[in-house]
Amino acid sequence: MITGFWHQVRAVVDRDLLRERRQGDMLWITIPFGAIALLLIPLAIGTDAVLLREIGPGMYWVIVMLFGVLVAVSRASRETLPQQDASALLGLDPAAGFVGRTVSSAIFLLIFEAVVGIVAIGLYDISIIGIGWLALTLLLVAAGLALLGTLTAAIVNSSSAGTALVPLLVAPLSVPLLLGATQTYDGLQGGYGILSWVLLMVAVVLVVAIIGVLTARPLQET
Amino acid sequence: MEPQVRIRRWPWVVIALSLAVAFTLSMISPADSVQGDLVRIMYVHVPSAWLAYTAFFVTFVGSVAYLVTKNLKWDRIAAASAEIGVYFTGLALSLGMIWAKPTWGVWWTWDARLTFTFIMFFVYLGYLALRRTTDDPIARASRSSVLGVLGAIQIPLVHFSVVWWRTLHQPPSLIKPDGPAIQDPLMLTALIIGVIAFTVVYVALMVKRIELIHLDERRLQIEQSIERPVAGEAVTAPELGAT
Amino acid sequence: MSGAPLVELSGVGVRIGSSQILRDVDLEIEAGEVVGLFGANGAGKTTALRLIATLIRPAQGSGTVLGADLSSAERYDVRRRIGMIGHVPGIFPELTLAENLRYAARVAGVSTDRVAGALAAVGLAGAADRPAGAASHGMQRRTEFARELMIDRSLLLLDEPHSALDRDAVDLVEGLIERKAAEGGAVIVVSHDRDRVGAIAHRTVDLVGGTLT
Repeated sequence: MITGFWHQVRAVVDRDLLRERRQGDMLWITIPFGAIALLLIPLAIGTDAVLLREIGPGMYWVIVMLFGVLVAVSRASRETLPQQDASALLGLDPAAGFVGRTVSSAIFLLIFEAVVGIVAIGLYDISIIGIGWLALTLLLVAAGLALLGTLTAAIVNSSSAGTALVPLLVAPLSVPLLLGATQTYDGLQGGYGILSWVLLMVAVVLVVAIIGVLTARPLQET
Repeated sequence: MEPQVRIRRWPWVVIALSLAVAFTLSMISPADSVQGDLVRIMYVHVPSAWLAYTAFFVTFVGSVAYLVTKNLKWDRIAAASAEIGVYFTGLALSLGMIWAKPTWGVWWTWDARLTFTFIMFFVYLGYLALRRTTDDPIARASRSSVLGVLGAIQIPLVHFSVVWWRTLHQPPSLIKPDGPAIQDPLMLTALIIGVIAFTVVYVALMVKRIELIHLDERRLQIEQSIERPVAGEAVTAPELGAT
Repeated sequence: MSGAPLVELSGVGVRIGSSQILRDVDLEIEAGEVVGLFGANGAGKTTALRLIATLIRPAQGSGTVLGADLSSAERYDVRRRIGMIGHVPGIFPELTLAENLRYAARVAGVSTDRVAGALAAVGLAGAADRPAGAASHGMQRRTEFARELMIDRSLLLLDEPHSALDRDAVDLVEGLIERKAAEGGAVIVVSHDRDRVGAIAHRTVDLVGGTLT
């Protein structure tokens, strides 16, 4: 049964990655848009190098959050009802579907974080200290946003006004991730303890993952 | 046919009486030595904030109970409470801002509790928006109860994050959102009775709001029991030129 | 289990949003039966199929499909044995026809080796690597029939199976229906084409005003 579960998860992940690769929304629209957003900020608030270095990391995380929501929205409208029906009748465990969609979203978000991160380092001259912890932070934020996005997309799914609602639902709930990420960065720069922030992000990931798996079935009931 | 929905009148009487008592006490309590009459905002602000938290807790309890029992009664309680909670959160926030401008000179300060309350306001605004997206009682109940649970479990995490954020890197703020320390016994009494009165108002509003949900469900039932033409009869030939 | 009907609905009503789509539906389908279901546009035929496919819960009444109660979690366990081909294809346009079938095989837990054979059986061996979105409607439907061939289903629900199909494909579909019935499964065919479906169905029912007559 457990092998069957992970087998299904992998099938869903492969399906989503393949669809994304063929369609290319993420690669050709979302990532460039994120990079442009980083370019717009200095145009609006001024190009003082010291100021930019100071606000750069925060701006980077805000953009990751807002675009994480965009990825969630695009996924909410991604599967049509006949497609969902067909998958359900293949015996797809709703929880396996949830985990699979989350993993593929998290992979997109990690790619987004990496590319936009390089742009941010270049444009804002952001200094990097504690690369291992930063990598862990990137991973936790990607996982947390993917979970929140996939879960809220499932919550609003099949309600017609749904997709417009996802950003409103995800944004407030992602505050601990935003604060965790920015404070971890500041902590590494200033040499403060960051463990509590990392644990907070881990807690968010675990809580949303558990709720998502447990409610996968009730949410399928239309 | 289900029995008629019972329309209760006592909640209106209870609400009027409670508000009258709270209002009278807030008016006869003394003005503050520093803030003057501005302190009277506190008699609405503090009970509203208390109600906001209580109401959202009830929404959480109702959501969990619905997911466990699948009884729509719990969903109605969760929904009614969220609506009242959003109203009182909005009231507490706006009164706080009205009070803050003359007292602190700014409308808003990034205090942990203010920031947290503001975020919570949006979580439940989203909850109410979600409820509006479907008419189907079962789908609406299961979807919104999952959100009710997710929101309520995330809220402590949001709370920790915001509190740590304000305490770890900034000196504790000099201006406390709690307002002035209350020394006068009459002020304290007025405040406590105000909190009790608002709680009673909350209960009365819950009764009326759940009654309204019942009425709404009844309306839907009646609409559905009316025989509608099948599609073949509902679709008629287009009338050209009839604009 | 032998002798128990595959589908048993009694007094079932279905609501979608605030509207009642089906009411007081009674239906019993035995193993080996082919049932034709007729109705006007919007009469609720698709909803009836989704109900029997366990994808919608009844709002009133009770029913079992393949022995599973429609209102309980049992229905998740029988879904894999129910095949449905709706009039909008449930395949992913970005994936090729073969990739769609490979996904279906992996989720359903059958060997992906069956994909090539299934595609050949519906005459699509040469189009395996064509993106589903670029394939014609008829080819998409054939792909869905290939999916049903790969997976062992006890119950087949077909919504307008004759639309968008050429003569060869119609023969294929009718062959599949007959085979399913001979194997002890059951097939429900939704259509407005009374002549054609009447010829293959053992009996027919009409959906009028949200209920079966």
